[in-house]
Amino acid sequence: MQEEIVRLRRETERRIAEAATPEAIEEVRRAYLGRSGRLAALFEGVARLPAEARPAAGRALNELRAHLEARFGAQATAVADRTRVAQLEAERIDVTLPGVRRHLGRSHILRRSIEEVQDIFVRMGFEVVEGTEIETEEFNFERLNVPRDHPARDEQDTFYLTDDLLLRTQTTVVDARVMRERRPPMRILTAGRCYRRDVVDATHMPVFHQVDGFMVGEGITFADLKGVLAAFAREMFGPQTRTRFQPDYFPFTEPSAQVAVEYGAGWLELAGCGMFHPRVLEVAGIDPERYTAFAFGGFGDRPAMVRYGIPDIRFFWENDLRMLAQF
Amino acid sequence: MRVPLEWLKALVAIEAPPEALLERLPMLGLGSEGLEWFGGEAVLELETASNRPDLLSILGVAREIAAAWGLEVRPPAVTLAEARTPASEMADVTIEEPAWCPRYTAHVISGVRVGPSPVWMVRRLEAAGIRAINNVVDVTNYVMLEQGEPLHAFDLDRLAGSRIVVRRARPGETLMTLDGVGRTLDPEMLVIADAERAVGVAGVMGGAASEIGTGTSRVLLEAAAFDGPPVRRTGRRLGLRTESSARFERGIDPRIVLDAARRAAALLVEVAGGEVLAGAIDRYPHPAPPVQIALRLDRIRRLLGVEVPREEVEAILRRLGCGLDAQRDRLTVTPPPGRVDLQREEDLIEEVARHHGYDRIPEATPVEATRAGSRAAALEAQAAVREVLIRAGLTEAVTLSLISPQVVDRLGLAADDPVRRAVPVTNPLLADHTHLRTMILPGLLEAMRVNLSRRIDAIHLFEIGRTFHRTAAGTGRPAGPGGAAGIAERRSLGVAMRGRLVRGWNIPAEVEEVSFFHLKGILETLWAELRLAPQPERAARSWLHPGRSAHLRLDGEEIGVLGELHPAVAERFELTGRIEVAEIDLDVVLSRATLRRRFVALPRHPAVERDLALFVPADVSQAQVLRVIQEAGGSLLEAADLFDVYDGPPSPPGHRSLAYALRFRAAERTLTGEEVDAVMAAMHRALEATLRARPRA
Repeated sequence: MQEEIVRLRRETERRIAEAATPEAIEEVRRAYLGRSGRLAALFEGVARLPAEARPAAGRALNELRAHLEARFGAQATAVADRTRVAQLEAERIDVTLPGVRRHLGRSHILRRSIEEVQDIFVRMGFEVVEGTEIETEEFNFERLNVPRDHPARDEQDTFYLTDDLLLRTQTTVVDARVMRERRPPMRILTAGRCYRRDVVDATHMPVFHQVDGFMVGEGITFADLKGVLAAFAREMFGPQTRTRFQPDYFPFTEPSAQVAVEYGAGWLELAGCGMFHPRVLEVAGIDPERYTAFAFGGFGDRPAMVRYGIPDIRFFWENDLRMLAQF
Repeated sequence: MRVPLEWLKALVAIEAPPEALLERLPMLGLGSEGLEWFGGEAVLELETASNRPDLLSILGVAREIAAAWGLEVRPPAVTLAEARTPASEMADVTIEEPAWCPRYTAHVISGVRVGPSPVWMVRRLEAAGIRAINNVVDVTNYVMLEQGEPLHAFDLDRLAGSRIVVRRARPGETLMTLDGVGRTLDPEMLVIADAERAVGVAGVMGGAASEIGTGTSRVLLEAAAFDGPPVRRTGRRLGLRTESSARFERGIDPRIVLDAARRAAALLVEVAGGEVLAGAIDRYPHPAPPVQIALRLDRIRRLLGVEVPREEVEAILRRLGCGLDAQRDRLTVTPPPGRVDLQREEDLIEEVARHHGYDRIPEATPVEATRAGSRAAALEAQAAVREVLIRAGLTEAVTLSLISPQVVDRLGLAADDPVRRAVPVTNPLLADHTHLRTMILPGLLEAMRVNLSRRIDAIHLFEIGRTFHRTAAGTGRPAGPGGAAGIAERRSLGVAMRGRLVRGWNIPAEVEEVSFFHLKGILETLWAELRLAPQPERAARSWLHPGRSAHLRLDGEEIGVLGELHPAVAERFELTGRIEVAEIDLDVVLSRATLRRRFVALPRHPAVERDLALFVPADVSQAQVLRVIQEAGGSLLEAADLFDVYDGPPSPPGHRSLAYALRFRAAERTLTGEEVDAVMAAMHRALEATLRARPRA
């Protein structure tokens, strides 16, 4: 019996080692460990042994079975591993082929740059409102202290729709609207398209963008204007940014200034600004003795061109996707 | 304004080199365009604000410089030797329109010899950019540049009746101006006339007939103040802008007129000989009252946010030529003649700020109650729409809102199509910018054409912007300031897509190329984000593919269209391939959108899933089928996702096959298969009964 066990063990181990596929392993298992397999035959022989030899023989056969089961398991794993390796090898691809790419959507650089400006002012407590692009002579000019035949209109050659209706030349018109509707204090910002009869060239389009803001309250000063715009400039251009305020003239502010930031080798003009002219406040029904107000407007196409190095304003309007995709 | 440095130095002893001047002047508000060298002399090119007529003179610039550097101005000395004969014996002046001409002075100089001007005068004039003509005309220009007061010299012998009448032009009156152009005038224009006819357009240009010539011996020298707005209107209507009109438009102070006239008369005698008759004729019916402005010292601090010492305030104003009367807490300020911009306290505070230095005003933080920033609700909603579209893969475009109707013509619209009701601009500048856009789409198609012409073929664009419409008055929609005039301004969304959505190789065309359903899917994503469910209906639009277009209806209101661009329209826009487009009225959409979010509990009980495959008659739309499924599914039906559409065999003729993956779930318990089976059976009965849709075996 002992010899037969040893022989069966060697033979089975050899056949397991030779089985190279899951099917072959299964066949060998049926032949040796199956119900009518070789091991079952040996178990049957135990009954014919003397009674005293039976326990030892039985134990030996059980050990053999456990041993062979383990071998079968190990071989099955090894075969499966080899099969997977071969399969994966067969699935090899050229990883240098290009990937499948989705077109990413993106915002227009001009719009995004105006959003950036707005976001900074929102963080400084401004409320963003909107106006209409069609406006009236009264709001666009007269309420802003620019009567008909005022020489300042030369800089704002206007498109008219009727005698009274026009395409707004400045977003400051929204300030006039808001001030008529609300009472101080106010911190308002607005942005959008403006129109002027400018001949198209590298820096002019008849349609352009402005951001305009103002603050009305008791004790608002020119120093506050400087503080708010300087804080804006540091947010937008970096903490070391220097700003420069130079006197300028706008009919609706007094004193008036032009604000510029140091940029590259020179100064980049960002906006016109100043303290609202008392007449502008009076027309809006706000007492200029009690309240003072600053206002600013600009930040549109030109600063965006300079910041992003865009040489011609017409690039904004052409919508060449190769240009838009750069930002 | 061109300021020859040598001329400036004759009026103020400025030592600073020109470069230093150029650096400092902008800090005073005199923008400089740089320095030009003219015949070895430095010329400053200054940009001056439109409220400062005084800075269109060398003397005015000298005053600013004197104030800034603490110097004295040395105006030219005028000694006028007058003959005994009074001027009034030789000429007369009448102002018929004093509102437009508050002051008119005339000097008469007789025995003048017209000839070339001295070299020094020619040099100064030419450095300042004015061509020398003859000594008489040159003197008028010279004094205009020096003092800021435009002057005009008439040949007195050519003035009929030896008289000047300042009046409105007569209807149809004509005048040949000095530039040789015949002008037709009207009563909205002010003229200088003699006893018979107009001899000059007041404040703009003189007439050729009374021009100074070599034979002139008696000169009538005009120095006047004309009101700015009429001069401006007249100049614009005649298409004439002169050195003279530029100054009058900004406002000439009647108080500077006589001094400038005397200076010119004296200089005329100096360079052209002759004698000045006694007593200028000076018509000044309503002398301007003296301007006195109260300047409260604490108002300076309240407006500027900086304390400027009283001594400095006084010194600045005094150096600018203001008269001062000091009280305890205020100054009474009399601005110098010529400074028409100084009218209110704030104007004086600006003077203080400019000369104190804007750079010396500190940066402060407003102390007014701090509030969190915010955006108007419509702007928030618009930003949400932009974000969804960008996340869906569209690129934002910015196109012009001024268009030509010819672009709209390419859409092939019927004559009465509302899209044709574009608002015209009354004074367009260019032939292709004559109207306001009624749709976003043509601009996007134009952008698409530009890209295609540059061989960029995957183009997926959107734009959100204003569109403008002529409407019947009182249509009830919020229309903005143009509403009363029948012009509505709306917020619109345009989408235009063509070409590949993904870039790769061996990708099936139906996946890669934009189709109607890609566009529709993007819009459905948008509606889902806005919690809206507009319904598509077949649409008829001449510019869309008749079988592949729909309009969208939201609560019964039409909010826009989507579809494939009609191939004929695509051809007219020079576009190839299938173009998917949409145009949506965003005002309506945004007003109904829900953007505020709240947590919705995630399901705690398992779902039961079933497939539903149907044969549906071909004339039944998918939307009809889905509606029946949803009604029959009731609250237990969580989702019905269409996953297969097929219209070949084994579908019976005249039918197509639709297959849905249905998911059922109850909120508070685990559904049993039997319950779902019962719902499915009811669903099949309803489908059969209402749509003759049968289960696919």
